[in-house]
Amino acid sequence: MQNTFIGKNPSVLWFLLGLSVFTVVVTLCSEALGADIISTSFLKTLGKTLCLCLVAIAMDVVWGYCGILSLGHFAFFGIGGYAIGMWLMYARTEDIVVASLQNATLPPTPDEVTTAIGSQIFGVVGSSDFPMIWALSHSLTLQLLAVVLVPGLLALVFGWLAFRSRVTGVYLSILTQAMTLALSLYFFQNDTGLRGNNGLSGLQNVPGLEAVSQATLSLWFFWGSAFALGAGYVLFAWIVSGKLGSVIRAIRDNEARVRFLGYHVESYKLFVFTVTAMVAGIAGALYYPQAGIINPAEIAPIASIYLAVWVAIGGRGRLYGAVIGAAVVSLMSSWFTGGAAPDINLGFYVVQWTDWWLVLLGLTFVVVTLFFPKGIGGVFDLIAKRKGDTA
Amino acid sequence: MRHAFLALMILMGSVLAVSAQTLQPILQTHTDEIASPSRNSVSVALDDLVASGVPQVTDFLEQWVERNIWQRDDGVFYIAVEDGDELTLTDIDTGAQSMAPAAGFTQLRPNGGVRRVIGTALVQFQLLDPDLTRRETAVASIARRPEAGQLAPLLASIDGETDAALKARKVQLANFMSARFADSPADRIAAITSLSADTSVEARAVLNQILSTSSGVAERAPDGNIAMIHDPMLDPEASYGLLVEADLAPPRQTPSDIRTTLEANIDADTIAGFAVAEMNDPAKREAAYAALSDAGLAPLLITAPVRDAALSAHVFYDLYDEDDVEITAAASIALRSVETRVSTAQAVDLTLDALSLASIFFLAAIGLAITFGVMGVINMAHGEFIMMGAYTGFVVQQFIPNYTVSIIVALPLAFAVTFAAGVAMERLVIRHLYHRPLETLLATFGISIALQQLAKNIFGTQARPLTSPDWLAGAWVLNDVIQISYIRIAIFVLALIFLGLILYILKRTRLGLEVRAVTQNPGMASSMGINPDRINMMTFGLGSGIAGIAGVAIGLYAKVTSEMGSDYIVQSFMTVVVGGVGNVWGTLAGAAMIGFGQKGIEWLNPSNTLAAQTYMILFVILFIQFRPKGIVALKGRAAGD
Amino acid sequence: MSTLLEVSGVSVNFDGFKAINNLSIQIAEPEMRAVIGPNGAGKTTFMDIVTGKTKPDEGRVIWGEKSVSLLGMNESQIAQAGIGRKFQKPTVFEAQTVRENIVMALKNPRRPFDVLFKRGGNDAEDRVRAISDDIGLTGALDQTSGALSHGQKQWLEIGMLLAQDPRLLLVDEPAAGMSPAEREQTTDILVRAAKTRAVVVVEHDMEFVRRLNCKVTVLHQGSVLAEGSLDHVTKNKDVVDVYLGR
Repeated sequence: MQNTFIGKNPSVLWFLLGLSVFTVVVTLCSEALGADIISTSFLKTLGKTLCLCLVAIAMDVVWGYCGILSLGHFAFFGIGGYAIGMWLMYARTEDIVVASLQNATLPPTPDEVTTAIGSQIFGVVGSSDFPMIWALSHSLTLQLLAVVLVPGLLALVFGWLAFRSRVTGVYLSILTQAMTLALSLYFFQNDTGLRGNNGLSGLQNVPGLEAVSQATLSLWFFWGSAFALGAGYVLFAWIVSGKLGSVIRAIRDNEARVRFLGYHVESYKLFVFTVTAMVAGIAGALYYPQAGIINPAEIAPIASIYLAVWVAIGGRGRLYGAVIGAAVVSLMSSWFTGGAAPDINLGFYVVQWTDWWLVLLGLTFVVVTLFFPKGIGGVFDLIAKRKGDTA
Repeated sequence: MRHAFLALMILMGSVLAVSAQTLQPILQTHTDEIASPSRNSVSVALDDLVASGVPQVTDFLEQWVERNIWQRDDGVFYIAVEDGDELTLTDIDTGAQSMAPAAGFTQLRPNGGVRRVIGTALVQFQLLDPDLTRRETAVASIARRPEAGQLAPLLASIDGETDAALKARKVQLANFMSARFADSPADRIAAITSLSADTSVEARAVLNQILSTSSGVAERAPDGNIAMIHDPMLDPEASYGLLVEADLAPPRQTPSDIRTTLEANIDADTIAGFAVAEMNDPAKREAAYAALSDAGLAPLLITAPVRDAALSAHVFYDLYDEDDVEITAAASIALRSVETRVSTAQAVDLTLDALSLASIFFLAAIGLAITFGVMGVINMAHGEFIMMGAYTGFVVQQFIPNYTVSIIVALPLAFAVTFAAGVAMERLVIRHLYHRPLETLLATFGISIALQQLAKNIFGTQARPLTSPDWLAGAWVLNDVIQISYIRIAIFVLALIFLGLILYILKRTRLGLEVRAVTQNPGMASSMGINPDRINMMTFGLGSGIAGIAGVAIGLYAKVTSEMGSDYIVQSFMTVVVGGVGNVWGTLAGAAMIGFGQKGIEWLNPSNTLAAQTYMILFVILFIQFRPKGIVALKGRAAGD
Repeated sequence: MSTLLEVSGVSVNFDGFKAINNLSIQIAEPEMRAVIGPNGAGKTTFMDIVTGKTKPDEGRVIWGEKSVSLLGMNESQIAQAGIGRKFQKPTVFEAQTVRENIVMALKNPRRPFDVLFKRGGNDAEDRVRAISDDIGLTGALDQTSGALSHGQKQWLEIGMLLAQDPRLLLVDEPAAGMSPAEREQTTDILVRAAKTRAVVVVEHDMEFVRRLNCKVTVLHQGSVLAEGSLDHVTKNKDVVDVYLGR
């Protein structure tokens, strides 16, 4: 079956090949191996970009293939980040606290340790008690489960409610946007126990790996992200190329007809919505340790809309399109807004890219939607077609 | 009229009658009490001064309090102003002015207690002063700090009061003071009972002062007017804290106290026989501490049973400062009745608040509802049109300094600007995306990003003010609880006007007829000669134009920033979705539901507006479950699928 | 021949307009039935009710030997119970190949995980081939179905119906927009299908109905006006009045 799957999906092979070559080249150029061509911070940017590509293909499956324009998948991404961030922050603070209490005259009681950790973590919001939501934060295994299960469960409950009442199209988009807004407002509150708008920080330090340099650690995370992207790509390619893919594309094109074929449309939507949410959670859990910090602004509705923008520009309904879109747009965004792009002097006005990049992006997006609905991926079709014509 | 004339005559007569008298001799008889007064001695002098009825007394007392009275070395008093080494003297009786070197004079510097006694005496003069402002000042000063001694002069001044408003105020104040200071309990109870219908902050303060308690703890309850006996076991830690404060029990050891004590008693590697290494176990720590305590090296450990025993041996009570049981009972009843009224008033206030929030949502959402309902187009840039309207208002105010005129100019101009922007957007973008609603959503979102950043580039990131004219600045105060700012009333009125206008346009005009035709059946409408392109363009322009006006209205009470649009967009969508698409009444219902819902949740959890928004959104998501097509749903075949 | 579907006393209101008024129809298995009637007679609404798209205000819809009520079931459950429907406008999934369209319709477990892991679909290729032979689209199996002609789309849709292996086929105007040759082929497909199952055809075209050579039910204003052979109902005075508007 694997043979036929790859045979039917040559793009998967090309993609994996490209990703492997990219990974190897970046590794060889990295600081960790002594070559100073790619700095550690740029290596982190590349690793983060891979995670964004992963969440973008999840978005592509739910939107491009199943027709659900979810404006909530970046919130699932953020939740994944928070879930792993809680463990990173707890475990690292615990290490520090235990080390500092080592020299105390009396060995510390568990209570004293907890209180010390609590005041370290929650001092910024004027508290030292551990909120309920941190109950599992001491356990890496449980928090890793939470990375997948919390977004999955949330998507399951929300999706069940929304799909069951047959909310579709733009209504559904707005409803998911409302969900995202509610989530980000929830995370913003100090009462929630996730440090309000301070968010979680210091996530780049992995407890137990203090001896490993950031250069090496970044490389590991880069590998992890590349592997996750590859695995995610294969998983989704497998899902969308089979009969299930056929059904969800049919749902995208004519939901009512699929129902009369005897498929329970809601279950399929729910399946796709939930699985992609879980993958988004995993992508977030890989992203934020490389970013080092997460706060509720990351979850705001705008982030999910940018995700849709990436997929649309890259070309939806094709997985590599989403990867291209996410990589190109997010790398360009950080290049332009990072101040690295040269300003353009028009004589009467100097165009500063930090100010004008978003205007350009917004308008580009309008143009792409109007004139290139297939996005960058559509170019591949043109090439393929030309080849077919000449052959 | 005749009464007033009569009163005037009497007043003039009395002024004439006493003006012959002089104050200086009376002062001289009390020279010691005045020159170096104490709180007790000064009252003798004051009584004589008051009894004399000399009109200069008021001025003298005022200047005395202000420390402007100087005594010459021969004992004569003057009103004087220091000017370098010189004094500008004013004769107390004649008012004649002269200059003299300061060296021969001593300034009278009454202390705070004396000044208060003088002030009290002064009040009765001020209450009767011919000058209305002075009388008002006097009443206000009594109200600020009511004292028992002021009640009688206040009551005495009521009958002669000529100003109706001040008289009413005097009566009210006298009533408040009778409740607290009247001599006979019956008078007090009568005054207290009369307060049960008064929701003002002042009346509530009076009742609360009568009911003020001091809490205490003792082995047995003291005699007196006990307000409440507390059960210490409800919060044993806090109750024990009270015991400790009252020195009735030793303080409880905190974990860190225990640790300090243990650390102080380390003997090699053990503490009272326990290994130091074992001290990471809380039970072991306690045992070690107990051992230390047995050995007399530490105070007894206050464990939970010890604490509870101490608690049950004491009574925790609240004692009324007022001794008379009947008075406190009457005050409790009155306060309860006042509180009922206050909460009714609060409910009214909350309703008004919710109404104005609903009007804002309505204004923000109605344009969206029109474009969504008629064209099936989701305009994500709607929020940015609101922002555009607000910035139009801001720019207009830069050119027209008169706020009233500038608002009058800004409203139609904002409509024109956003109408034009809407038409341009419809022509350039939306027209090409009909029947692809998701793409429209995304394209308009691209426009929204671009417009937001553009506004940031032009106007900067800081908030810009949109100042409302003075006549909109205040608030309409119904009573101490219910008040609503004029700006919110104006927004409410604006929302009403737009509701009427839109209903008129849709129901009574040719455009409205054509819009409804296109909404219900675009194919049939176009075959009947209606140009759907034109209708769509007009509709979109209209929806955008209203957003511009909403922008001016919102800008007036909130700050104008480039991000203000995104603050309203999700709520606006919620309003449209909850209300039911394509129906003005639906939007109204949606706005009302979201406005009232949000205020209601805020009322339940006032500390947290973020939470109110969160729960409101959750509520909307659940609401959609039960009415997927909104409150006012189109039924039957017209609704389509 | 036993009763497969029993619709009795069903009424539906759309904002005061009675689309269906106390309608009662019985369909046996196997049977071929034609339903005719003027515009607005309630033919499509009748199908909507049977397939679960519209819920009636009153009446019963009973299905199969176990006499299950269809009113409590949703569209997909009804479809799984064995009722297939072909819409007036051909609605095949144009972005997908003919094969994908048929495979999707094949009678297999329909839950997401069954589909994902392709449970119970071992003889799929044979069945696809048999159906494509039946509808004459074997040569076009790997074509995108959007590229098919109008008539071919109609057959593909009928093929998808057959792939579902339903006990009752509801076919809405199958011959609309077809050439005479295509019509003949469509008639053959339907007649063959009706040998083993119940087929209900809604049709305007009398010639087409005549070729089906079956019992005819005439609907008018939401209820049954006449029932019997085509010759019988066309002689019915009411039917003549309704059709000629007298």
